[in-house]
Amino acid sequence: MSRARAAVGMAAAMIILGACSSPGGGSASASGSGGGGGNCVVGVSWNNFQQPRWGATDKPKMKQTIEAGGGTFIDADANLDNQRQLSDVDSLIQRGAKVLVLLAQDNKAILPALQKAKDAGIPVIAYDRLIEDTSGSVLYITFDNVGVGKAEAEAILQKVPKGHYVLMKGDPGDANASTFLPSGWDQAGLKDKIASGDIQIVGPKEGQFTPGWDTQKAQNEMEAIIDAANASNTKIDAVLAENDSTALGVAQALESKNYGFPPVSGQDGDPANLNNLALGKQYVDVWKNSNQLGIAAGQAALQLCQGKKINEVSINVDPSVAPAAGNSPTDFKTPGGNTVKSLILKPTPLTADQLGKVFAAGWYASKDQICKGVDSSSPGAAACK
Amino acid sequence: MADVTTTPDQVIANRGFSFRNALTAAEIDLRLLGMLLALAAILFGFNVLSGGTFLRPTNMATLAVQATGVAVLATGMVLVIVARNIDLSVGSVVGVIAMTYALLMTDWLPTFLGINSEFPFRWLIALGLGVAVGAVIGAVQGFIIAYVGVPSFVVTLGGLLSLRGVVWVMSQGAAVTGMDPTFQLMGGSAQGSIGGTLTWAAAAVGCLAVIGLLLYNRRQRRRFGFPLRPTWAELALGAVGCLAIIGLAAFANASYWPPGAATRYAQEHGIAEPAGGLKIPVGLPWPVVILIAVTVLMAFLATRRRFGRYVYAYGGNPEAAELAGINTRWTLLKIYVLMGVLCAVSAAIATARLNGATLDVGQSYELYVIAAAVVGGTSFAGGIGTIPGAVLGAFVMQALAYGLAYMGYNSPIQNIVAGVVLILAVGFDAYNRRRGGGS
Repeated sequence: MSRARAAVGMAAAMIILGACSSPGGGSASASGSGGGGGNCVVGVSWNNFQQPRWGATDKPKMKQTIEAGGGTFIDADANLDNQRQLSDVDSLIQRGAKVLVLLAQDNKAILPALQKAKDAGIPVIAYDRLIEDTSGSVLYITFDNVGVGKAEAEAILQKVPKGHYVLMKGDPGDANASTFLPSGWDQAGLKDKIASGDIQIVGPKEGQFTPGWDTQKAQNEMEAIIDAANASNTKIDAVLAENDSTALGVAQALESKNYGFPPVSGQDGDPANLNNLALGKQYVDVWKNSNQLGIAAGQAALQLCQGKKINEVSINVDPSVAPAAGNSPTDFKTPGGNTVKSLILKPTPLTADQLGKVFAAGWYASKDQICKGVDSSSPGAAACK
Repeated sequence: MADVTTTPDQVIANRGFSFRNALTAAEIDLRLLGMLLALAAILFGFNVLSGGTFLRPTNMATLAVQATGVAVLATGMVLVIVARNIDLSVGSVVGVIAMTYALLMTDWLPTFLGINSEFPFRWLIALGLGVAVGAVIGAVQGFIIAYVGVPSFVVTLGGLLSLRGVVWVMSQGAAVTGMDPTFQLMGGSAQGSIGGTLTWAAAAVGCLAVIGLLLYNRRQRRRFGFPLRPTWAELALGAVGCLAIIGLAAFANASYWPPGAATRYAQEHGIAEPAGGLKIPVGLPWPVVILIAVTVLMAFLATRRRFGRYVYAYGGNPEAAELAGINTRWTLLKIYVLMGVLCAVSAAIATARLNGATLDVGQSYELYVIAAAVVGGTSFAGGIGTIPGAVLGAFVMQALAYGLAYMGYNSPIQNIVAGVVLILAVGFDAYNRRRGGGS
C-alpha cells in the first residue's frame, strides 16, 4: 500500500513539473476479456474513480460475481463529466451490453442515457446513486442513507442519553445532508429528546452546515462552537457529525482545544477516521461495506440478463447488510416524487471493539493505517492486537 | 500647529486644528486606520451581542489562528494584484503542498530516506521540501505568464483545476493523518503557543523595533533634507505603537492552558500542582508568530527593497516601468515564486492544525485571499495596495465568520454577510477615492 502510494506520489510530482496536465485516463476502457465470449455482457459506467473505494471494493467484487456466473464485465470511467458519461453509455451499448449498471454523475443529466437503454431494451441498475426515473425500468441498489443517520444517532444516544449536543451537518445543497441523514437522526429519537428537553443543542439549532463537506471548515466552526460553549459554561457531551470528513474536523477542533473527546459520530469508513476510532477520538463510524453492494449488483445484473423482471430479482448477501425489507426489490419513494424499485442494504455501525469486521472484509484501509499509534490504553487495543 | 511642516496643498486645508489635520501631520495612513476601526467595531459589536463574552483572550486566539492561513497568502496576493495580475491557483497549491507534507511525514521520509519519527528536525526537512515544491510550482506558472505571455487568469485557472486533481492522485482519494509532534506546534493549540516569557520578550523586541524605526527614519529624513514629522507626532506614534504591542502581549498572556492539559503537563514534568491548578500563560500562538514574521518581511520587501519598488512601478504604469529599464518579466516571475513559497507556509499551518491533510485543504482559499486583499484596499487597477492592509482585510473577514459562528449562525448566513461586506468595503473605498480622500 505505502509503496504503491509512494509511486503514485512520484507520478504526481512529475505532473506538477509538467504544469497543466489533467489526471485521468482515456474513455471507455475494456476490463473483461474482449466481449462476445459470454452471452451476458454487463456494462458498468462509473462517474469517477477518484475515491479509493470504487476501485478497491465495488469494482472487483462486481466483476468477480459476474464472471463467476459466466458473464462478461465491461466498464468505463466518466471522470466526473456528465457529457462523457452519456457517450460512455453509448459505447457500452455498442459493445454489446445486455444490462447497464450506472453510477450517475447527476441523477437528472443521466436521463438521456436511460432513454437510450430503454430504446435498446436494456434493463438498468442505478448503483449507489438514485436516478429520477418515471418509467419503472430501473432497479436502485444502495445503502440505506436514512438508516445511516439512524445508526449514527442510535449509537450516540445510547452512549449519551441526555446532555448538550452539537449537530454537524454536511453541504447544505446535498439531499443527504439536509434531508436523509437528519430524518434518520429523528427516527432514532433525537427530535423527541430535544422536544422533551433531555437534549439541548449547542450552536445553530438546525445544525451547523459545512459547505463542500470541507474538513477545515468543520474544524473552524467547531472551534467557534467550543469557545462559545466555554464562555457560557456549557459542557459539550456529544457531537452528531453526518460523515467522516466533518467528524475529522470536529476531532481536530476538540484536540486543538484540549477539550477531551466526547462521543462523535461519522460515516464512510475513511482510514483516518477508523484510526480515530481506534484512538478514541471518534466513537462510532457507520460503515457501508461496499464489497456487499458490488456483489448484490453483480447478482442482480446476472438475473436481469437471464430475462428475469426487476420484480423477480433476488439477491443473496451477507446477513449483516441484508435489506430489512427482504432480498427482493421493494418500492422506494424518491425525493422527486417518483417510485423506483430498490434494494436497500443495511449499513454497519462500528465502534472501536468491532474494527475486526473491517479487517476481515478486506476494506481499502489497511490494518497498519487503522491501528497507527494505538497503545494498550486505546479503545482499539483489543481489535488491533 | 506652528511647527507642522506642510506641503502646499495641505496649507489650503489647514484652517485651524482638526483631528484629520493632526493625522495628516503624523502621516498616518487613513485607510489603514479606517480598517483598524472597522475591525474594532466588528469585535466590539459581537462582544455586545454575545453579552460580553466574545472578547476573551482564548476566543481572540482562535480567531487569529483561523485567520493566519488566508492572511499569509494575502500578503503575497497584494503584490500579484498590484502588478495587475491574479493568482487563482493558491488554494490548489496549498492543497498539493499540504498533501506533500502529510505524505512526507507518514510515508516518503521513512520509506525512501529512512528518516522515521526519532529523527530530529523532521519538520524542518518537510518544511524545506514543501517550500521547494511551492517555489517550483510558482516558477513554472510565473514563467508561462511572464515569458510565454499566457494571461495569468488562464494559467492559474489551469493550476486551480489540475493541481486539485494532483492532490487526488497523490493521496489516492483518502485523507492522510499523523504529523510530527513538533510540526503540529505550527497549528497553534495551547501547546502550540510560545508561552508567557517569550511573548513578553517578543513584545519588548517589537517595542524597541518601533522606536528604532522612528529614530532611523527621522535621521534619514534629516540627512536627505526631507520634511520631518512634528516631534509630538513622533512621540505619540512611539508611545501608541509600544503600548499597543505591550497591551496585545498582556492580552495574549491573560489566557491559561486548559486545566486538563496543565495537569498533564505538571505530571509529565514532575511539578506539584498548586491549589486551583497550574496556571501556564498561553501567549502568542505559533501561527500568529509566523504571520507577524511574514508580514514584517513582506512589508520590508514591498517598501524597502528594489523588488518591491519595481512591482509598484510596474503596477502603476507597465509601459513606463519597461521603458525605465526594469526587467518586468523577471519581476513578475519572482512574484509568483514568492506566492508559491507563501503557499508552503500557509499549507504548513493548515496541515499542523488538521494533524494531516484532507483532499480539500485550501479549497476556495483563492476567493478568501483575493477578498482579503481587496477589502484591505488593494486596487484591481494596479499599483495600489499595502501588505498590512491585506492582513487586516483577512482579519476583518475571519472576524465576521468566527463571530457569526460563535453567535450560533449557520454557514450560509456567514457567506451572505461576507459577500455583502466585500462589496461594501470596496464600494466605500471607491467613493472615498472619488472624493479625493487619501490615495
